[in-house]
Amino acid sequence: MWRAPTDAKLDGMTITSMKTAVELRAVSKIYGTGAGAVTALDAVDVAIAPASFTAIMGPSGSGKSTLLHCAAGLDRATSGDVVIDGVPIGGLSERSLTRLRRERVGFVFQAFNLIPALTAEQNVVLPQRLARRKPQPGAVRAMLAEVGLADRATHRPSELSGGQQQRVAIARALVSRPAVLFADEPTGALDTSASRDVLRLLRLAVDRHAQTVVMVTHDPYAAAHADRVILLKDGRIADHLSGPADAAEIAVRMTRLEQR
Amino acid sequence: MSLAWTMVRHRFAAFAGTFVAIALGVALIAGAGTLFASSQPQVSERYEHSPVLVHSPSVGKGSDGYDDYRAWTPSEARALAVRLEQVPGVRAAVPDPSFYIQRVINGRATGDAEAAKAQGHAWSSVALGGYRTIMGAAPEKAGEVALRGVAPGSRVEVLTARGPETWTVTATVDAPGFFVADDEAQARAGGVRVIGLTGNPQAAVVRSVAGADGLVFAGGERTKLEEESVSRIRWLGAQLIIAMVVLGVFVAVFVVASTCALGAAQRRREIGLLRAIGATPGQVVRLMYAETVVVAVLGGAVGVPLGALVAPLLAPPLVDAGLEPAGFAVTAQPLVLTAAFLTGMLVALAGVWTAAHRSSRVPALDALRDAAVERRAMTVPRWIIGLLTAAGGAALTIALPSIPAMQQTTAALGAAMLLLVAAALLAPVVIVPLVRVVTWPWRRAATGMLVREGTLTGVRRVASTAAPVLLTVGFATLLTGTIATIEQATRIDETAKIPAAMIAAPDGTPGLSEAAVTRQPGDAPLVSDVLLTVGGKTLSYQATGKQGLRGVELSKDLTGRPAQVEVGFADGSTVRLPVTGTHDGPAELVDLPRGVLRQHNPDALTESVLLDGPAVAAAGMKVLTVRQYVDARIGVEGRIIDLFLIVLITLTVGYTGLAVANTLLMATAGRRAEFRALRLAGGGTGDVLRVTTGEALLSVAVGTVLGGGVATAALAGMKRATEHELKQVVDLVVPWGQTLTVVLACAVIAVVAAGAPVLRRQQAT
Ligand SMILES: Nc1ncnc2c1ncn2[C@@H]1O[C@H](COP(=O)(O)OP(=O)(O)OP(=O)(O)O)[C@@H](O)[C@H]1O
Ligand SMILES: [Mg+2]
Repeated sequence: MWRAPTDAKLDGMTITSMKTAVELRAVSKIYGTGAGAVTALDAVDVAIAPASFTAIMGPSGSGKSTLLHCAAGLDRATSGDVVIDGVPIGGLSERSLTRLRRERVGFVFQAFNLIPALTAEQNVVLPQRLARRKPQPGAVRAMLAEVGLADRATHRPSELSGGQQQRVAIARALVSRPAVLFADEPTGALDTSASRDVLRLLRLAVDRHAQTVVMVTHDPYAAAHADRVILLKDGRIADHLSGPADAAEIAVRMTRLEQR
Repeated sequence: MSLAWTMVRHRFAAFAGTFVAIALGVALIAGAGTLFASSQPQVSERYEHSPVLVHSPSVGKGSDGYDDYRAWTPSEARALAVRLEQVPGVRAAVPDPSFYIQRVINGRATGDAEAAKAQGHAWSSVALGGYRTIMGAAPEKAGEVALRGVAPGSRVEVLTARGPETWTVTATVDAPGFFVADDEAQARAGGVRVIGLTGNPQAAVVRSVAGADGLVFAGGERTKLEEESVSRIRWLGAQLIIAMVVLGVFVAVFVVASTCALGAAQRRREIGLLRAIGATPGQVVRLMYAETVVVAVLGGAVGVPLGALVAPLLAPPLVDAGLEPAGFAVTAQPLVLTAAFLTGMLVALAGVWTAAHRSSRVPALDALRDAAVERRAMTVPRWIIGLLTAAGGAALTIALPSIPAMQQTTAALGAAMLLLVAAALLAPVVIVPLVRVVTWPWRRAATGMLVREGTLTGVRRVASTAAPVLLTVGFATLLTGTIATIEQATRIDETAKIPAAMIAAPDGTPGLSEAAVTRQPGDAPLVSDVLLTVGGKTLSYQATGKQGLRGVELSKDLTGRPAQVEVGFADGSTVRLPVTGTHDGPAELVDLPRGVLRQHNPDALTESVLLDGPAVAAAGMKVLTVRQYVDARIGVEGRIIDLFLIVLITLTVGYTGLAVANTLLMATAGRRAEFRALRLAGGGTGDVLRVTTGEALLSVAVGTVLGGGVATAALAGMKRATEHELKQVVDLVVPWGQTLTVVLACAVIAVVAAGAPVLRRQQAT
């Protein structure tokens, strides 16, 4: 099993002056207005260090997805600042934000990650094609080989299993070497063995390619792959674990959180 | 672009509606355009061997924008012909007078009545067409004629402006028309308008010799002298073609727009994903444009050959319907085909425009939302445009009585169109209450409940099915209703205006001959065009020769009435006549003493005789009651109008069918999950079909109620306007039959289109 570095600097929660991959400063997100308003995030501060694997957990409705969306520039925070790879996204136009996303951010969603009309390979190069960048020769195939799908390059999503589709999505997210990869319950729709493959790939990306990964999950076993676990409740950070945490410990913390 | 191609290939079903709409639209434009472009004025075959024609001078452009010409007197024409014969290269200069003549067979006038007005010619004009005499000798005196297909020595009965005559055929020629001795033709025609030159003269020299005495038309310019009866036929045909193309383009844009809107709604999640992984809004717009261009290219590739192939097949029916002249032939029109292809592209891009721009605003987060969650059916622009058109239509309707009478019916139609578009846009607002009311009795049955809830949650789907039905039912009801009501009103109005019980009317002829008229008791107005110089300006007027007048009577609408006017007649003479009074008609009519008009136009015919005693039978004349007379006059126009209506409504219904079918096919296909759930809950294919059928019928019902409602309201408004205009009560004619046919057609298409995917799925499993 992988051992977390004990360097305290990686605990970005306290040290924000160093370079971070993503940083949220007092970010709040309020859906709706007036009496029906829901505070999904309540002045959250988070800093994600480069080349780290962070898991975000919390009870349903605690704001995990909202946090991820705001951090990834998919959605705009109601207040507070989000900085991705050193760029504050608050003032960016929709166009510039899109550019930033395609150059520095990768995504893996729970499902519906791929364009049905395109083959696995075409899906993987799509972000680079949209950026009008020429993919490096062989890079796409190499990436597909890395996720174990070298022989499936010309298959369409409908011809792939759920786990294989997730792996294609990971390949797509990694191929452009983003500053950070966001995954929202990437294993939520998969069985145990497919989940394990996906988690192993994410871990590998961090270890081998120094990729920054932020993953939302419900599963303590999945979270145990991370260097650090952030626990949310009611839109606030309620707890966090860093260093080697095993699934049992995470489960205990989760239960405690839900009972509080 | 290659991404667009992949998308189109992968989900062609979603683009099928656009494809078919574009293919049909392009075919329509290509075919109609080919017909339009093929229908060019031709040099009359009578002038085939006359490379240069000299026409009598123009007096300037009339109010219709066309030149008005004066005629040469016979002596002027002769003098000019003598001068023209001096031009080098001219073999002969032949004055070409023409007059009214029809062959009478078994007591009935034969041939096309309008064309007969210029069927009589001078014998020497045979040379202008290069016709050959097959046998016999030239006609030399009155009562002799050369003719096609009749052997010399035969006697033929003819009808001329003078009356029935029996002539001897002296020669058989292969030329169309009746050829008589030159002096005889001149005497019957009055004046001359054309001198044809044979040989090989230079147009410039002819022009300098003719000077101000004549206009020179050489080579291709001669097409400008096309016979009026032929021009009129081609004009009618062009009207139909233009209406078809305009309507075709409009509905094609509509169908493409609704297809794209629905497709974009169904693809929301995919577009969200594209946005999330880095497609800018501009890239989304470009992708959708590119997809549409791909589909439009495919549609054009099918539509262009289709139109080009069908056009020649339509030529004979068009000629039969009197919309193209005899001998009309379709020629290849590559330019038109290119234009049709490009128009298809533009139509497609115009159609996808809103959908593309709306899609580009899809937030990336939509990639994470469950698809097919019904969005709000009413968007802000939809509200704004809907309310604006509604307000415009309502304002126009209210203002109707204060609009000049001439423009009232046009304004009423415009108002109705605005109201129909408004109803289509605002339909989602009324759909929910309307569906509640309509489905109330079935709310407890399982199918009823599903249909009810399905429609209530899928308002947008219902609206996009109901909208084309609404437009078609409204359009068809309105158009046929308006025309039927106006026809009815005109009939009543005209009948009331005629102060006699019985009328002697032309029977297969363009008018009554002098012989027929003199024997009838009653007023016999003679009709002819004259040139009138009023206030220094010479214009063409429609003159009526009336008994008992002593001078000219001008319209009372004409301001600055002079004491005397100069009248230019068909025989080329100009006479100064005193103005003795006014008439109530429009400004372009003038009344003259009948004797004067007859004296200067031996070829004029009488329109009809209002009988004040028993009629005497005559050739080319029949006696009608006022009612029959008015009906017959309306009937001639009515036949063409009905043809227009049928073509236009068929076109609209066709496209509606396409829109409805497409919406429902896409919607049913997009609701697989829902129907799977219904099956899991124990429903069979029958239940699914009952739901789709119920919903389809409901959508058609909603469209019918709204479209019919708007049309009826608009018809009532128009009825009021007509009553105001005619100052008498008008019956509202509602075309129930046509409306019902249109509704049934829509319903059948809707049910089939909604059910087909269900059945296909059933077969597949
Ligand atoms: N688009 C939205 N409009 C209104 N409220 C929303 C919206 N999205 C989320 N919320 C609300 O914000 C809160 C946080 O939602 P969020 O999706 O972030 O939760 P989550 O932690 O991801 O939950 P889960 O584990 O169930 O996915 C919830 O109360 C949710 O109802
Ligand atoms: Mg979530």
